Amino acid sequence: MMGNGKKKKIGIFVCHCGVNIASVVDVERVAKELDGYTDVELSTDYVYMCSEPGQKMILEQIQERGLDGVIIAACSPTLHEKTFQNVAELAGLNPYMVEIANIREQNSWVHTDKEKATDKAVKIVKSMVEKLRGNEHLEPIKVGITRRAMVVGGGVAGLQAALDIADHGYEVVLVEKEPSIGGHMVQLSETFPTLDCSQCIMTPKMVEVSRHPNIKVLTYHEVESISGFVGNFKVRIKKKPKFVDEDLCKLCGDCADVCPQVVPDEFNMGLSFRKAIYLPFPQAIPGAYTLDIDSCLGLLPVRCGKCKDVCDARAIDYDMKEEIIEEEVGAVVLATGYDLYSMQALGEFGGERYEDVINGLEFERILSASGPTGGEVRRPSDGKIPKNIVFIQCCGSRDPELHNSYCSKICCMYTAKHAMLYKHRVHDGNATVFYIDVRAGGKAFDEFYQRTVDEDDVLYMRGKVSKVYKEGDILKVRGVDTLTGKLVEMEADMVVLAMSMVHADGSGELMKKLKVGTDKDGWLAEAHPKLRPVESLNAGFFLAGCAHGPKDIPDTVAQASAAAAKVGDLFARHELLHEPTIVPVIEELCSGCGICISMCPYGARSLDLTKHVVKVNEVLCEGCGACAAACPCGAAQQKNQTDEQIFSMVKAILKG
Amino acid sequence: MNIHYYPGCTLKEKTTNLDDSTREAMAVLGYELVEPANWTCCGAEYPLSEQKISGLTAPARILRQVHSEGGGQVVTTCAFCFNVLKRTNVDIKRNPLKNKQINAFLKDDIKIDPNTKTKTTGFPPYNGEVDVLHLLEFLRDEVGFHTIRAGLKRDLSGLKVAPYYGCRMLRPGGGIGIDSPDSPVIFEEFLESLGCRVVDFPFKQECCGSYLAVSRPAAATEASYQVLRSAIINGADAIALSCPLCYYNLDRRQDRIKDAHAGFSGFPVFFFTQLLAWALGVAEDVLGLDQHYYNPKSVLHNQPKTEVAQ
Amino acid sequence: MKISIKIGADEKKFIDRVSELSGKNVYSCYQCGRCSAGCPFAFDMDILPNQIIRLVQMGLAEEALSCEAINVCASCFTCQSRCPKGIDIASVAEALRQLRDPQEKDFFGPDDVPRELADELPQQALVALFRKLSK
Repeated sequence: MMGNGKKKKIGIFVCHCGVNIASVVDVERVAKELDGYTDVELSTDYVYMCSEPGQKMILEQIQERGLDGVIIAACSPTLHEKTFQNVAELAGLNPYMVEIANIREQNSWVHTDKEKATDKAVKIVKSMVEKLRGNEHLEPIKVGITRRAMVVGGGVAGLQAALDIADHGYEVVLVEKEPSIGGHMVQLSETFPTLDCSQCIMTPKMVEVSRHPNIKVLTYHEVESISGFVGNFKVRIKKKPKFVDEDLCKLCGDCADVCPQVVPDEFNMGLSFRKAIYLPFPQAIPGAYTLDIDSCLGLLPVRCGKCKDVCDARAIDYDMKEEIIEEEVGAVVLATGYDLYSMQALGEFGGERYEDVINGLEFERILSASGPTGGEVRRPSDGKIPKNIVFIQCCGSRDPELHNSYCSKICCMYTAKHAMLYKHRVHDGNATVFYIDVRAGGKAFDEFYQRTVDEDDVLYMRGKVSKVYKEGDILKVRGVDTLTGKLVEMEADMVVLAMSMVHADGSGELMKKLKVGTDKDGWLAEAHPKLRPVESLNAGFFLAGCAHGPKDIPDTVAQASAAAAKVGDLFARHELLHEPTIVPVIEELCSGCGICISMCPYGARSLDLTKHVVKVNEVLCEGCGACAAACPCGAAQQKNQTDEQIFSMVKAILKG
Repeated sequence: MNIHYYPGCTLKEKTTNLDDSTREAMAVLGYELVEPANWTCCGAEYPLSEQKISGLTAPARILRQVHSEGGGQVVTTCAFCFNVLKRTNVDIKRNPLKNKQINAFLKDDIKIDPNTKTKTTGFPPYNGEVDVLHLLEFLRDEVGFHTIRAGLKRDLSGLKVAPYYGCRMLRPGGGIGIDSPDSPVIFEEFLESLGCRVVDFPFKQECCGSYLAVSRPAAATEASYQVLRSAIINGADAIALSCPLCYYNLDRRQDRIKDAHAGFSGFPVFFFTQLLAWALGVAEDVLGLDQHYYNPKSVLHNQPKTEVAQ
Repeated sequence: MKISIKIGADEKKFIDRVSELSGKNVYSCYQCGRCSAGCPFAFDMDILPNQIIRLVQMGLAEEALSCEAINVCASCFTCQSRCPKGIDIASVAEALRQLRDPQEKDFFGPDDVPRELADELPQQALVALFRKLSK
């Protein structure tokens, strides 16, 4: 059956890739040895096949000799397969009759013995000839698009992405798990390097999002699950009950006044308290109270019921239930943000043990005019103004042995800002920063850091701290200054830890549900570190902001806009083309055992209950081949990668 | 029940109070401590160089002896012995090269039959079959702190005790130390089971001065003083510890500390086993409290109540 | 205070030998200083623990082998428990002590033990110290 019994005319083009291949593989010998091999019409070599002249040569040979298949022996197919498929198409050849024999990454780059490497290259090319002889002409599968996007996360990344997509003219569903949009940025005091008031630049964006006709904001909602594929997702979203009707609430605050339950206020990082029924912050959007059921005494009127009694607007409804809503979207932007590494993990610094050892976000709230101290620098334990403050950088970052191996990127800058703002408010105070390196690579960043040192007299101490402990009222900091080679012991009234950034709490489980790839640290994985930095490897998912890795605000906004542009790019197409190299079912051979269904990571296979055989949703199939390998009957055969083709490839290689 | 117990040299000579209190306390709990036959010094210091294998043979022999006597575990109280035995055992288990090298040494040991005086050699290899346990681990995992609590005969509820770990019970981490190097709890839980009030102090994991007491006495004195001072200013009535060298530095050398720091007037230091034995009702004269530089007897007796109503 | 740096074959061999004996990659230290900050005896050392590693990284064998700091280390492993790169400086110090010792000289031997203490010192202190500092 191989090659349908008909003789094929195959052209082989062996690439030198400059010296990348030719210095290790004798490319001319490869071309010569393939000349005359079964069905081979032509075998030649050239210095750069991907160059204009190289492509032209392939195109002309296909047309002149009437080739019905070509093999390019060159680099990995991830790089130029598309290039050569386009050449084939231009020449009138079905692009699925192009095969790439990888003799660079899988050969010349990993070998040094020229003789053996050349022998191996010959085998690789021969095996591809065997594969190509069994190939059939394929056409891409065409799929429609739902031109509507979902953005997960309502911080600055999510808001920017939502606004841009909406401005492109597409509808957006914005899902935020907290009661208000705004994320971490709205908690910040002032932003480096310009010292803009963070709330002042963030709240207009929040208002714009809430007023945009194309954006539907779903706060206190969480994504439950997703099905479908790029262009055609179905999302199930959990609506958590707020027990307050957003439209009816008049923000009078009477409910919170009477509520007897006092709990730490998350917006102020636990530095102040809120009631069980609360408005997260004055500019919260939507502007409505939320009843936090975990802190509430209980919804039964016999338990409490005070808030409902006092609400003149009749906005409080104890009968609200959790609901699941469904949305159909064509693309998803993931902007789930970050959290800070737990201070408990660095027990030696006394965070969570001593009230006056706090993390960077807590200090942001202390510096913020809307914060628990109204912007005055006062320490949590007794409200005293700290006269000596110590900042410790790299708390949990750059520590592959015990904590996180990566640099959290923004801590150098925000610590400089913290020290500067502290000095602006406490003129007679002393600020000391323990650092390893100051990384201020960004527009106007280093100048900002220099200003902190030059104008605000902040003392930078190059070295780490080993221990923070308390003696009486005073914190003692033991560290080192590696520049003088001296041990340092100093007293501090307050210590601020620049805790490492980590992916947002719960985002790991969410990404598992969405089947979106993450890296070893839990950040979202991009499709290519250089060339596809805002796309996930999973088609239809785009990345924005710190969900992808530590970032400052400008980088976050830029990435969010880029993700939105990518969504626009997707929606601008008439239809989507899906690779046809899928794994269909040969119904006569299928026993309906269902092993392939359990193997499929994409949910593309299911049991046809009437015929009792497996059926395949072609657009969901990504052609990974897991089912084909698992099928005990040989009923799952991948297009252009059938068992028969694989066996003939193996034979070609073993033959020598 | 018999358990294997490796006391180490110091307990046999200089700190018999640690040895005696351990034996008596364990006897009350129903355990008889059995020493492996012909045990030698463990070497005291684990050789840190990858190429100092000979230093691992003495501890390996001790462990092999325990194994050959049918022991599945060996318990120690001296933090140095614990550290050396545990690290050697872990090397034998995890490091195939060291396992081979150590066993190559051990194979040629000569065994003399005490009766016939015949010499044999060719020992079977030792592969880390014995678990090395610090007594605190044994008390937690085998005896159970709840059992201790249930068997208390004396009330220590008025005593504020600072648990001092020092170095070698905790470090290095990664499967050697008996608890997290940065936030350990085992000693605290043990003291709570005795009914003591536990005092947390930031120097509980700092080094006492160790053997620098010999080569650099001033440095060791300073280190010891910092530990004692920290316990005192955090409100402790006494320190509890496990290592004979820590005891030497923190108690026996209080004379030097007094010389160096005029404000220091002495402070009670206990072996944890002395507190255990006391709480379990062991007679006071067994504890060897008079061997201490600062006799801690008074803090035991100044308890609000001394005997729990039976 | 000037030193000339040359990383030639001898220096390379020295650095690799320290890594080999200590089982730690001394190149990977990025000089954060956490070891020194936490070392309970750094106050009594001529150079700080991170500087020991630095000298080795620079191939300065003579300076590294002649420093007093490697005699002060008490192997308390505080540095090892904190090092972000998993370097155990006690082991590096041990490697240096092993390398400096071709003549088998006592850096602290039985004769150096103060007479008045000899009787009451715990055995473990003497054995451990001699293991580190005598032939």
